[in-house]
Amino acid sequence: MSVLYALAAERQLEAAAAEAKAAQTAHQVLPTEDEALMSSRGEHAVENSTPVALAAHEDARSLIRLIQSEIVAKQMSVAVDTTTLVQEQVRWDECVSGEPVADKACSQTLPGGRLVATYALAAKGDLYRESEVRYEVSGDAQKALDVSILHEVLEATQSQVECQVCYGLMLDPVTTFCGHTLCRKCLTRTLDHSLHCPVCRRGLGLPPSLIGQPSNKTLVDLLNALCPDAVALRFAAAREEEAGGPGELNTPLFVCSLGFPNMPVFLRIFEPRYRLMLRRSLESNREFGMLMYNRYGEPQGDLGSVHFYQYGTMLHIDNHQLLADGTSLIESRGAYRFRVRAHGIHDGYAVGNVERLDDVPTTEEERLEASETSGPPVPDWDVVGQLDRMSTQALLDLGRSFIERMRGRSANWLQQRVLDIHGQPPTDPALFPFWFASVLPISDEEKYKLLPTRTVRARLKIIAGWIRRIESQRCATSQLPPRARVTMRPEAEIEGEGETEDETDAEEVEFTPTSSART
Amino acid sequence: MSAPLPKRIIKETERLQSEPVPGISAIPHEENVRYFDVKVEGPGGSCYEGGVFDLELFLPDDYPMCPPRIRFLTRIYHPNIDRLGRICLDVLKNNWSPALQIRTILLSIQALLGAPNPEDPLNEAVAKQWKENQAEAIKTAREWTQQYAMKK
Repeated sequence: MSVLYALAAERQLEAAAAEAKAAQTAHQVLPTEDEALMSSRGEHAVENSTPVALAAHEDARSLIRLIQSEIVAKQMSVAVDTTTLVQEQVRWDECVSGEPVADKACSQTLPGGRLVATYALAAKGDLYRESEVRYEVSGDAQKALDVSILHEVLEATQSQVECQVCYGLMLDPVTTFCGHTLCRKCLTRTLDHSLHCPVCRRGLGLPPSLIGQPSNKTLVDLLNALCPDAVALRFAAAREEEAGGPGELNTPLFVCSLGFPNMPVFLRIFEPRYRLMLRRSLESNREFGMLMYNRYGEPQGDLGSVHFYQYGTMLHIDNHQLLADGTSLIESRGAYRFRVRAHGIHDGYAVGNVERLDDVPTTEEERLEASETSGPPVPDWDVVGQLDRMSTQALLDLGRSFIERMRGRSANWLQQRVLDIHGQPPTDPALFPFWFASVLPISDEEKYKLLPTRTVRARLKIIAGWIRRIESQRCATSQLPPRARVTMRPEAEIEGEGETEDETDAEEVEFTPTSSART
Repeated sequence: MSAPLPKRIIKETERLQSEPVPGISAIPHEENVRYFDVKVEGPGGSCYEGGVFDLELFLPDDYPMCPPRIRFLTRIYHPNIDRLGRICLDVLKNNWSPALQIRTILLSIQALLGAPNPEDPLNEAVAKQWKENQAEAIKTAREWTQQYAMKK
């Protein structure tokens, strides 16, 4: 065990000794890097990169100052009786370049361990930046000194490179125009809430999403070189944090409205917590679950009376447009249906463990059709029974012919615009009901009944039921006062007669789940 | 079911314990570590001097993106604190920043005790008295401190 540790420490020391050298020479390196940074970008970025680069300088300098003071202080206090012989190695290309090399190569015995001695050599200006060095190891005391100094340097560095938002090691640090450096993700999340620097509150001219905003390269390089293990740990921790809520609650859930498989859903995301959810979704599989808000508090199976309906639709984000104010427009499509098994809250938004819900296999569906249609004839008044006797194809035809009739009457909800968005009525009986529900102006609670279905027939029968009701209302319209027109929307709207507001307009569903998405 | 505690909250809590602020303490509940019992001493030289005020502090789900929720439990006569103990303080609302922390917020509250601002009142009646008869208001504040905020 101790041998391994010593070996690991040894390797670390090699890297750190090189780093001490790099730190010393960083002052000379920095301007060159910035020039490269500026020239490598487009015109627009150049204007912005200057202050960022300057701030990056500041961070790097304060870090270097810190290392300097730690190492120098250490050198002053302890290393009187330990010395190290540092020999500069002349590189072969310098030997053959013909330039005089004698004054570059040097060999000195300096106080302190390897780290301090190398640093001192560089500080004196005696160590050429490109050179390798070789050490004369004088014993365990020297090694112990190096280990303790390395530890102190890391400790001292740590507080400087802690993000002021998450209190962790800065992960992919980004520097603001006002000179403050934070994890990219922390700054982005802060910008979801307000377009001000979290440290000094200056208004930030940064885009709300920091895509394209350069990282503080100097700091990234220093961190990677100084504490690669800590960086790796931090990275892993961040990934785990992103992955979702506690345990198996790894599906982000958006409690908002209804979506159906294969149907488009257009959303505008503006609440800070959902901006975060959206970003994470875009970074992973571009999916999130959409659930309908349970406004009447109906009980949801094992979940009890939760604020959402337990069956939802997984949406896949096809297109995403981030607007200047930080809100987003997304174009998504229903992928599959699911049921929520367990749920929780993660960073303010709902997360859950979901179970995919698929239709029964085709053979089962065919068996069901055969058994239902082969039953004895039912009387005229038994509407449900009559639907059972209809073949799947007949049920589909019923729906499609209803659409045709409504089109003939120029129903509002079948305008070209609606068809452009949702497409023509599908010929697939499994999908037709979802299309139908997406365009038909009836209540969402009614449409929701399609989501838990496991068979094509069940869905077709539900929509056949709607059609029956709509048509019977139409016959009765002349005799009944408007109040009596049952639970559906005013049939005038469905019929396309008269002025109605376009309720099925799914072009842009505006979300205001502010109070809705709380448990 | 709640998410694991963010590292930030763990660190903040540790630091509150290891480097306590004089005159201020915040101790998390065992069963809900987002909920703190807070004690703030009235600042010296103010009309709340000598008093120890109890507050409750709760870190919401999206802390530190959103400010902690905090209110006085001990009754206090102050123009910016209402009868329910709610506090009118910019950093607890619009001026919250995730770079602030429990420590800085509690210091701000202590500073608010030292500098009541009747121009931006939450408690109209107290603010009115403060503006019209400051001496009387301060006297009342002292009495209330005696009555409600003194260790018995």
